[in-house]
Amino acid sequence: MTHLVSLQAELERSRRRRQWVQLLMLALVLVTVLGSIQVIIIEDTDWDRVGSFGQIMESVGRFMALDLSLIPHLGIPMLETFLMACLGTLLGLFFSLPVAWFGALNVTPSKRILYPFGRFLMTLSRSIHEMVWALIFVAAVGLGALPGILAIAMRSVGFISKITAEAIENIDPKPVEAIRAVGGNNFQVMYYGILPQIKTVVLGTIIFEWDINIRRSAIMGLVGAGGLGLTFFRQMAMYNYGGVTVVILAILSLILLGEILSHYTRKAIV
Amino acid sequence: MSILQVQNLKARYAQTGDDILKGISFNVAEGDFYAIIGPSGAGKSTLIRCINRLVEPSEGSVSLFGQELTRLSARELRKTRRHIGMIFQEFNLVNRMSVMDNVLSGRLGYVGTTRSLFKLFPRSDIQRALELLDRVSLIDHVDKRADQLSGGQRQRVGIARALMQDPQLLLLDEPTASLDPKISRDVMQLIRDTARDLGIPVLCNIHDVALAKEFCNRILGLQSGRMMFDGKTADLADSDLERIYELEVL
Repeated sequence: MTHLVSLQAELERSRRRRQWVQLLMLALVLVTVLGSIQVIIIEDTDWDRVGSFGQIMESVGRFMALDLSLIPHLGIPMLETFLMACLGTLLGLFFSLPVAWFGALNVTPSKRILYPFGRFLMTLSRSIHEMVWALIFVAAVGLGALPGILAIAMRSVGFISKITAEAIENIDPKPVEAIRAVGGNNFQVMYYGILPQIKTVVLGTIIFEWDINIRRSAIMGLVGAGGLGLTFFRQMAMYNYGGVTVVILAILSLILLGEILSHYTRKAIV
Repeated sequence: MSILQVQNLKARYAQTGDDILKGISFNVAEGDFYAIIGPSGAGKSTLIRCINRLVEPSEGSVSLFGQELTRLSARELRKTRRHIGMIFQEFNLVNRMSVMDNVLSGRLGYVGTTRSLFKLFPRSDIQRALELLDRVSLIDHVDKRADQLSGGQRQRVGIARALMQDPQLLLLDEPTASLDPKISRDVMQLIRDTARDLGIPVLCNIHDVALAKEFCNRILGLQSGRMMFDGKTADLADSDLERIYELEVL
């Protein structure tokens, strides 16, 4: 009986302790949030320029006055954006294949040199933002869609090659052994033993990456690499807010299109 | 006439350096259906893979029709492998490929890289594949994916693939271990009859002693990498079996 009582008291104590800890955590979060608001919003904002509520609504209203006269001029940039995503993805796939080959432990031609090199390329591709890739290529090959395509390709390599390399590492080695046993060369081993096993994973990844690349290519123009981003940038530079909104809607519809297309192609494959 | 001669064959694990095979010698002659029996871990799979060098032997000699295989270059080895058909315990088919493509892949050693890229097999190969699929009673399943078939059917695809190579020797690695007893006997029968028809000697790993006694004319008993018996099936006494399996514990 006394044992039960002491157990109950122990439970009560630990419950109260937990409550205190929770309260403390909550207070900590609250202080952090309030502190941040004080420092980066209240103190940091130029309140004189924000204006009254009416003025804010007026600015928003300017964006709402759609500039429909821009629509006929959007066809070409939209197509350019779309093609930039397609070509960038294809080129990215092309570069990804050797990288995945190097970076998959079970097929890499050299574990000591090419494997770490492949892994390094995967990380490099992803750790540099697409806009930075675009800036590099604009500097290297000039303005237009080409630097955009190259930037998207470089940015795509990381993801496609990483997923591909992992798929290769996870294959069933038994068919590979069989292809070797019939006298197949290295290419045939890959093509007949490995590729059929990773095909769906790789195709799914390419579609996913292509979907993302439409978003990426829509903003490439901000640094001069062609497509809708360039139109967006021009409208912004002309303070044509209605035009900016129309470009944003165009980007939105393009992304929706990509979403729909990728949904159905994925269904068709898997 | 002996077709395959194995002499003092040794193999060891790359990592630990322990010997798996400790000097194995035997000859496979024309018309032989040679069984390798022994407890798990005796080195049966390693021994059979040393013949076509899926596993590299560390010492000894393997010669097929008088050609030494252990010293072949990679290119010569691929050429020789074309003549050695192999049938596996778990069939080793490419599941996502059709039955036809799996059988045709037995010709990969003969077709060039470019042809294999576009799956452009010569008409005669396709004809041969259909004949073989008919022989193994799978002619109605040609276009199915390999993973849609039952275990016994898959093993018959494996047999057709091996025969597609026009092999001069068949290596069987536990061909019945993934199959039920009835299908096992059917598969062994099919292999024996086909090998007889085509005049191909067979070297077969098998842990089922009853099956080995029924189908094979010679038996090699292996225990932890050592040969415990080598002779005609008729000469295999119960005492030999006891010696081969004496170390096996549950």
